[in-house]
Amino acid sequence: MEQRVFSTIGKVTRRKEGIARVTGKEVFSSDVTLPGMLFARVLRSPYPHAKVLSVDTEEAEKMGAICVTPDEVPQIRYNERQVSIPSKTYRDRTVLPEVVRHVGEGVVGVAARTEALAEEAVRRVKVEWERLPAVFDPFEAMKEGAPAVHEDVMLGDVRLPIKNNIACVREVSEGDIEEGFSIADFIVEEEFRTGRAYHTQLETKAVVCRPEPDGGITVWPTAQSIHNTRQLLGRIFDIPLSKVNVVRVPIGGAFGSSIQMNTAVAVCAALALKAKRPVKLCLTREEDMYDHCKYPSIIRLKYGIKKDGTITAGEMQTVVDIGAHNIQAYPLLGCMAGWFVSLYRMPHMHFHGTAVYTNKAPACAMQGYGNPQVSFAVESMMDILAEKVGMDPVDLRLKNYVGLGETFWGQGPTVRSIIRSCGVEEMLSKGKEKIGWDKRGKPEEKRGRYRRGIGVGRSFHTSGTGAPMPGEVIDYSTAMVKVNEDGSVDYLTALMCHGGGTLEAGAKIVAEVMGVPLDKVGISPSDTRSTGYDVCTHATRGVYCGGAAIKKAAESAKKILLEFASRLLEVNPDALQIRPDEELGQGVIFLEGAKDKAITVGEVAKTAQLKGWGTAIAVESHRQVNCPPCFVTNFIEVEVDTETGNVRPTRAVAAVDAGTVINPDLAAGQLEGGLCRGIGLALLEDTDYDRDTGELTCGASLVDYKTYTAVDMPFVDDLEAFFANTYEPSGPFGAKGVGEAANNCTAGTVANAVYNAIGIRFKEAPITPEKVLKALKENGAAKRRAERND
Amino acid sequence: MATYKLELKLNGEKLSAQVLAHENLLSVMRNKLGAKEVKNGCNKGDCGACAVLLDGKAVNACLTLALQANGKEVTTVKGIGTEDQPHPLQESFVRHGAIQCGFCTPGMIVSSKALLDTIPNPDRRQIREGISGNLCRCTGYNKIVEAIEDAALKRKS
Ligand code: FES
Ligand code: FES
Repeated sequence: MEQRVFSTIGKVTRRKEGIARVTGKEVFSSDVTLPGMLFARVLRSPYPHAKVLSVDTEEAEKMGAICVTPDEVPQIRYNERQVSIPSKTYRDRTVLPEVVRHVGEGVVGVAARTEALAEEAVRRVKVEWERLPAVFDPFEAMKEGAPAVHEDVMLGDVRLPIKNNIACVREVSEGDIEEGFSIADFIVEEEFRTGRAYHTQLETKAVVCRPEPDGGITVWPTAQSIHNTRQLLGRIFDIPLSKVNVVRVPIGGAFGSSIQMNTAVAVCAALALKAKRPVKLCLTREEDMYDHCKYPSIIRLKYGIKKDGTITAGEMQTVVDIGAHNIQAYPLLGCMAGWFVSLYRMPHMHFHGTAVYTNKAPACAMQGYGNPQVSFAVESMMDILAEKVGMDPVDLRLKNYVGLGETFWGQGPTVRSIIRSCGVEEMLSKGKEKIGWDKRGKPEEKRGRYRRGIGVGRSFHTSGTGAPMPGEVIDYSTAMVKVNEDGSVDYLTALMCHGGGTLEAGAKIVAEVMGVPLDKVGISPSDTRSTGYDVCTHATRGVYCGGAAIKKAAESAKKILLEFASRLLEVNPDALQIRPDEELGQGVIFLEGAKDKAITVGEVAKTAQLKGWGTAIAVESHRQVNCPPCFVTNFIEVEVDTETGNVRPTRAVAAVDAGTVINPDLAAGQLEGGLCRGIGLALLEDTDYDRDTGELTCGASLVDYKTYTAVDMPFVDDLEAFFANTYEPSGPFGAKGVGEAANNCTAGTVANAVYNAIGIRFKEAPITPEKVLKALKENGAAKRRAERND
Repeated sequence: MATYKLELKLNGEKLSAQVLAHENLLSVMRNKLGAKEVKNGCNKGDCGACAVLLDGKAVNACLTLALQANGKEVTTVKGIGTEDQPHPLQESFVRHGAIQCGFCTPGMIVSSKALLDTIPNPDRRQIREGISGNLCRCTGYNKIVEAIEDAALKRKS
């Protein structure tokens, strides 16, 4: 039977990593210091597109610096993101390239005794460049005769020529789209755009590499997957995996930016192997801003709808400007189709996605992997459709959402499973109440300089990428659980915590299964040598997938423990249970109803050790065969200043359906954080490039990029988060994910709220004051014209 | 290049280092004095991750020349409290979930300490202003503001 009453799960507890973090004891990659360590800097391209004709490192080497140049590193082409199967992985980069394809691409690695010396040495390296024509706009890039960013790439082991800078295309159809449109009463078509936001994780990417005497290497990287980093390094540098050890290090924020093995890791490894000394490489903020960004998308949406509000067909066409490298745009397009098709039921659908190379920083996953972009478009469209058929936007959503018992393939066409838990209705109806939906009024009724409006938006994210059948995406986790001789328990996985509390949740799962108090569960330090494979902590899979592996290992260890106990208590092990005893400070194994049949976990483990029975220890690999959506719903109120164009979110209700919530306070924190980043995407964040120099117009500085400070960040006082009351049968103790879901629908919700305030539909995010003012002006002029003609 | 002797007190301990005239305090703290708890988020004054107290006043170490700290007292998050004797702010940050990845935390705690030293009972607006030089990408600030508010209350009682 499902367990629904818990001793540890769902309780607010004191976070294990907390005290180290508030006292400055946490060691991030950039803090790792080794004896004899050198510091690296990288000579980077000042041009958006150029050929490296020659490199002269003599002057730098005279200073004692170690240099690696493109012709010294393995020429193997790789893709830094390793979560898809090889035949679906596009490989287009090398450790150091002979052709640079964006400003800031690294060409020569240099290591010296101090960072200042390394910087000086970089200045002494001479590179002769041949500038090549560059292209910055995806539509320009697709034209005949446009400069080619790549001539060819590798798809799996096959050479793939690139035509018109099209990195990959994906098309998905279900039903008969023409038929779907023909039975509709209305057809609505719109185009939406989202910005090229930057992750702004507070820690820039960093890595320390130490070459080992046996020819191996130990690596402390900023990474979301230590195992994929290991495999890739092994392949690039041709080192057996048993000699590549990658250590899990706390990460100063990720938001998807380190799903891939960061390019700095390969450069640093090359330097360390050459120097035969440990080397540290920390990116400057400027370098980091040229290293990665969100996939900006242009999305054309077309829906067919009946008068009663039933959607009959949907078509999405998208062009994604991926920048200079293809960090797996192919699965991105699959997911974008998935996000589209899994939000609202469409008997007939068609998706066409094109990923285009340009000479800009490469785009990669950023909290949501295309989902905030798709949800911005779809949720805006739902309001447009509701108005068209004269329905309340909430009712239209209730009528069409994909829910319980329906097929769901958010993570793309090969990751299909059935929805078994769903809190959509609950979140919509409760959220409506809380925000005061029915009193929001119509835009035409609103007057004055400041106008308020309320918007609704829904979305979801998947909990991992598991499915009944193996598909394009790799997904499983491994965990080890071990009972110590004093009754405490260690657990070990390669899962990461990006800050949201994933490892804490793992500890709670162990405590719950083993029946021991939470403070007796230790999170073991982890590296690739001591752990089994875990694909990556991404796709909101930490708790649902990683947690399920942890639960399985804990159950296996418990079985062994109870078998030991059964010898001591002379009770059949199947009849024994364990409960945490706060007074004793450990778990007690007992037979229900028999007072004399009880013994502590520690006593059993100790006796087993003394008698030589062994250790209660288990390792399990586990793949989830479902991919349940964690649904989210936002209601947001904004205030539009019609004189400045400024949009200020004033109130918000954010709800998530995460199944059983394991860490309520930390999950609420993720929800809040995600919502705030979503507001950034909606109103503020974007990067633009100078068309001549290929440089970021924000000068790669955080202040000019603009993110919210505590003063500008909305909602600090008026944000209400709540959880839907659901239970996911396939999740560990009923849990699903939270992580990415939190920001997916925010931009669309804000756009809908702005519409409700001023009656203007913004189809391009971020909705900046300039855009608002311009639209207000045009609207005013149009109105005046209409009045004159009346 | 000429180097100069820098003498300062770091969290109560007298230390010295040879530094360059143009070297910033952040680099000296991290690379010469072993104070890795002072974080580098931008090295440009944009993020507040490197905030320290210089004779009790919060400054960004990356915008401070190391020699400006000569003869002065520098306090980092480690000097504000320890695991055995955490400062009420540190305690409150843990309790309120005001830490996610924790990279902004050392700077946040330094800035909020400076705030409470000047305004013992700040209102929410004052709290937000007090930490407006510190970026946090994870939390959205809400829980940080709550943590500071609660620490101020606790200190009063
Ligand atoms: S590192 Fe000093 S303000 Fe960012
Ligand atoms: S907790 Fe991650 S930046 Fe603040």
